[in-house]
Amino acid sequence: MMIEIWTKEKYAGSEEAGFIGRMAHAGLKVKAARLSRLYRVDGDLSRAEFDRLGRELLADPVSERYSLKPGANGFKGAWRVEVWLKDSVTDVVGDSVREAVADVLGRRPERVRFGRAYYALGPSAAAMEAAVRGTLVNQTVNRFGMEKI
Amino acid sequence: MNPMENFNSLSAAELAELDRACGWSLNADELAEVQRQFRTMGRQPRRGELETIAQTWSEHCKHKTFSGPVAYRAGGKVKRYKNLFKETIVKATRTLNKKWCLSVFTDNAGIVEFGEGGRWGLAFKAETHNHPCAVEPYGGAETGVGGVIRDILGVGLGAKPVLNTDTFCFGRLDGKKKLPRNALGPERIMRGVVEGVRDYGNRIGIPTAAGGIYFDDGYLLNPLVYVGCAGLIPADKIEKKVRPGDLIVCIGGRTGRDGIHGATFSSANIDEETGSSAVQIGHAVNEKKALDVLMRARDLGLYNAVTDCGAGGFSSAIGELGSETGARVRLERALLKDTRIEPWEIWVSESQERMILSVPKGKLKRLAAILDAEDCEYCVLGEFPGDGRLLVTFGGEPVADLPMEFLHGGVPNFEKPASRRRVKVSSKKPAAPAYWAGALKALLAHPNVCSRRSVITQYDHEVQGGTVGKPLQGRYGDGPGDAAVIWPQAATLDPADMHGFAVGHGFCPAVGRIDPYQMALHSADEAVRNLLCAGADVRRTALLDNFCAASPRDPEVMGDLVQAAEGCLAAALAYGAPFISGKDSFYNQSRDAAGREYPIPLSLLISATAPVKDVRRSLTINFKAAGGALFLAGRSLKGMGGSVYNELKDSGNNAVAGLDLKAAAALYEAVRRAMEAGCVRAAHDVSQGGLAVTLSEMAFSGGLGAEVDLSAVAREKGLSAVELLFGESPARLVVEVEPGREDEFRRFLKGLPAAFIGRVAGNTGLAVSDGGERLFFEDIDVLKACWQKELI
Amino acid sequence: MKPKVIVLRGTATNCDIETAGAFREEGAVPELVHINQLLSGEKKVLDYDIMAFPGGFSYGDDISAGKIYAVKMAKLRRDFERFIKDGRPVIGICNGFQILAKTGFLPENRGNRQVSTLYTNDCGHFVAKWVKLKVNKASPCLFTKGLPDEIELPIAHGEGKFIVEDVKEMAAITGRDLHALTYADNPNGSMLDIAGVCNAAGNCLGLMPHPERSFYPWQHPDRPAAARAAAAGRLFFRNAVGYAR
Repeated sequence: MMIEIWTKEKYAGSEEAGFIGRMAHAGLKVKAARLSRLYRVDGDLSRAEFDRLGRELLADPVSERYSLKPGANGFKGAWRVEVWLKDSVTDVVGDSVREAVADVLGRRPERVRFGRAYYALGPSAAAMEAAVRGTLVNQTVNRFGMEKI
Repeated sequence: MNPMENFNSLSAAELAELDRACGWSLNADELAEVQRQFRTMGRQPRRGELETIAQTWSEHCKHKTFSGPVAYRAGGKVKRYKNLFKETIVKATRTLNKKWCLSVFTDNAGIVEFGEGGRWGLAFKAETHNHPCAVEPYGGAETGVGGVIRDILGVGLGAKPVLNTDTFCFGRLDGKKKLPRNALGPERIMRGVVEGVRDYGNRIGIPTAAGGIYFDDGYLLNPLVYVGCAGLIPADKIEKKVRPGDLIVCIGGRTGRDGIHGATFSSANIDEETGSSAVQIGHAVNEKKALDVLMRARDLGLYNAVTDCGAGGFSSAIGELGSETGARVRLERALLKDTRIEPWEIWVSESQERMILSVPKGKLKRLAAILDAEDCEYCVLGEFPGDGRLLVTFGGEPVADLPMEFLHGGVPNFEKPASRRRVKVSSKKPAAPAYWAGALKALLAHPNVCSRRSVITQYDHEVQGGTVGKPLQGRYGDGPGDAAVIWPQAATLDPADMHGFAVGHGFCPAVGRIDPYQMALHSADEAVRNLLCAGADVRRTALLDNFCAASPRDPEVMGDLVQAAEGCLAAALAYGAPFISGKDSFYNQSRDAAGREYPIPLSLLISATAPVKDVRRSLTINFKAAGGALFLAGRSLKGMGGSVYNELKDSGNNAVAGLDLKAAAALYEAVRRAMEAGCVRAAHDVSQGGLAVTLSEMAFSGGLGAEVDLSAVAREKGLSAVELLFGESPARLVVEVEPGREDEFRRFLKGLPAAFIGRVAGNTGLAVSDGGERLFFEDIDVLKACWQKELI
Repeated sequence: MKPKVIVLRGTATNCDIETAGAFREEGAVPELVHINQLLSGEKKVLDYDIMAFPGGFSYGDDISAGKIYAVKMAKLRRDFERFIKDGRPVIGICNGFQILAKTGFLPENRGNRQVSTLYTNDCGHFVAKWVKLKVNKASPCLFTKGLPDEIELPIAHGEGKFIVEDVKEMAAITGRDLHALTYADNPNGSMLDIAGVCNAAGNCLGLMPHPERSFYPWQHPDRPAAARAAAAGRLFFRNAVGYAR
């Protein structure tokens, strides 16, 4: 199950502007952007437990919200880019969250992986992919997926 | 048939093919020697044994190039070295034979005395992590920082890290050269490296407070990332000795396939992502756990020896600790990240954040209690038996079974040819700029001169509360400090102990392109001078050498190295500053977009440390008050070679000013005594950009201008105004002397070149003239605005 | 009497040693205690007179700064609540403030829910520099008593943007002058420039700047000019120890 963490829109201005600026520096014109963090939690947990992890552990109750359905807060027609560390690369955050899940639920999931998602409105597929490869992803350690939502 | 199974009957060509497939980097002589040894033993080698030998004999572990024989040809003469490193760098240290050097060249870091009463030692080490940073800058920088911290944790019985340093070399951000496919651009590399250093250093709680960033297109395809660490160790914890019967305990991170280098020829089917594993991501939290455990366990005397797992992983760490006792290792006991790993891979994996301890059986329980309390994982891998045999098994199956003496003594070495590079040098009068202030503004904005603030502020450079000499200092907390001054109160736990130490650097590859010998001199000089400017006692300077070079198969690269090493020897002897540790990195070259070899210039980073008796009296660079008397100490020499000015606009002169070592040493001792007497309020070295840049930086860091007349400056005959203002001849510094104490200062510098050049002004104008000629007048806020660029 | 200070640690906590040192210099007896020692019952929070959550990082600040530490504290919630209610001095510096905010102990509210957070700086990354702070003289905070109107302290954080979502909760802070410290030049985007908040009783303070790094005059970047003035951070510790005595 994947838990996606969003900064509430009213607090997301600076992270979105930062991302748009970075893309602009890489030659990509992005009209609007959204960012999120992704936790893929593998383990025998109930829906209620995933909700609890989103609510109590992974999302900040003041500045963030979570969703168990990927892409729920992206814009329609935007590119959605997911970036993960390859499975062979140590995921420090994932390991740490796995321990924290044990603190909250009393048992350790099999595995937790940490990733990021970027939603960008505006660019063409080719330009988007080039910018992703040029700034967000290093194929030595990362894998990524890109889709239009 | 698997070629490993009939290794002993392979031809030279087949051996080379196998070496390439396995990524061992052994040469033909070495492969033949391995084959000879196994033929003598009367059996075929096991994969684990060949991997162990490849690691133990690698350039990284044995430093074959620098410590091998060399024949240097110059001007029809040949000079032969049996061991270049021993006959230059080590020779300086042996000749100087300073009693305050507590451990040199033998352990993971050099150690010098710290403070008074013989209670403490200061361990200092720097190394490079270049290739990983070219491939994955963020992870490469993180693991580089993590690695050098482990060197400090693994020196003696463990030192507490109190300072991280880093010096980076990148291609020009505005460079035009086309990159080959798959190469990362310099901006991306810089961003990744800075973020890696930031995230690792900040998380582990060690201040990153000294270093530098250097831009040159020579580093476009091969960035250099020098990482250093200094730590404090109780003087009675420097000796370590494995005792027969001790347990081999691994603490910290787990072992995984992420630490396997090169092609994994027999196991390529295990994981489709095999090729990606040369670069790892750092895990600062695991390293901090190990640090916290080690400091407690060390003080309780719970282990007899410790070392870090670096290159070669268990094979080198355990091999090194057990070089006299032998080692019995049961790999099935290792804690693994992933079960899809072969036994020999566990043995050589370079997974990060692991330390090996030699623990007496009776103390394991107490050690385990501390490990558990800190949530630090560990495993007992075996023991050090005392029979001199290395026996590694996995579930009873042998992985390696070798006599230690073969591993550590067997490596063959051969003489490398070296020759002097020809460089065209022009000593003609340098062309003057049309507009002096304009040239100064361009220099201040040059990437090798401008402010590093946007990078420095991303590092927690004040954690541990001991960064007294800050990288950003002065009235506005933004002036460029010459050296870090560290007051290690978080290690001594005694705030009444005011002793500290300074750390500075010297780095002049642009000089090295013209004259590698002078480059070494200039670098050592710059490092010592930076320490002096911070008010350190430079009579007790200790140095680190870190060489980075292209392929040593090129005789001219070797020739550069020989000259620079000779320069290190001369400078160390003249300044009474021994080398205490060092490292080298070769093969820093790649193919460019056109397929041509693109080597880096010879790059020598000199890191230096010296004691500061009372950190409260350490100096900063900024002008302190109107009326302060300004002196330029040192003689200004001709030559624009290697200067930033020449990079901006070729002056037509590329001669390098020769350093008079004896004169410099005498000058520094006099200045040091004047500082000790308290006449000096500020000091700043003349280096990149020259004298005009030095004055500007002192001025805008203090918010005060100055009225300067250079006519009294000691100078070589015929020195031009360009050379005076923008030349970078060594061994010069500007000092601000307290008004009323000018004569006292002059007495300290009697007979030495030190000229009164003017006074700090009450306004923000910086006026500089030479005799009757006004060279420039500029407002310091305008100068500062040019200098304050955001690098990142 | 020498007050006993519990300086709380966890995995990969830093700044603990300097913070303990600052209390020791002011005549208290600090002890570094790992959260595991509290969870196992080996040590008890209520055996101490002063509590400090040091700055730096904890558990690598994975998920968000101080979050994992706050989760670990949940089982001991009652002891911490009691400690604060007793009026014993509690200071959370940087990561410590983040922990106090994420456990809900600060800003004080009915039921101690989390009503504020310290979010990623507007610039998007970690920043370490010296900043000027305005001291709220009307604040009941016991740590800042006697400070001049303006002081300088270093900050070192990536997540320091103070956010209170509920306007009533924010009014409860400003209305009672619980915002003990504000930035003169906001470095991270904090609401109302808030750098530190305390509870109504004034015994529990959370702040992003590091007073332990301005404990001695020679820790200031402008030396010797600033060395003439006493280091501003020292008073935070002196006040706490004096109060506990």
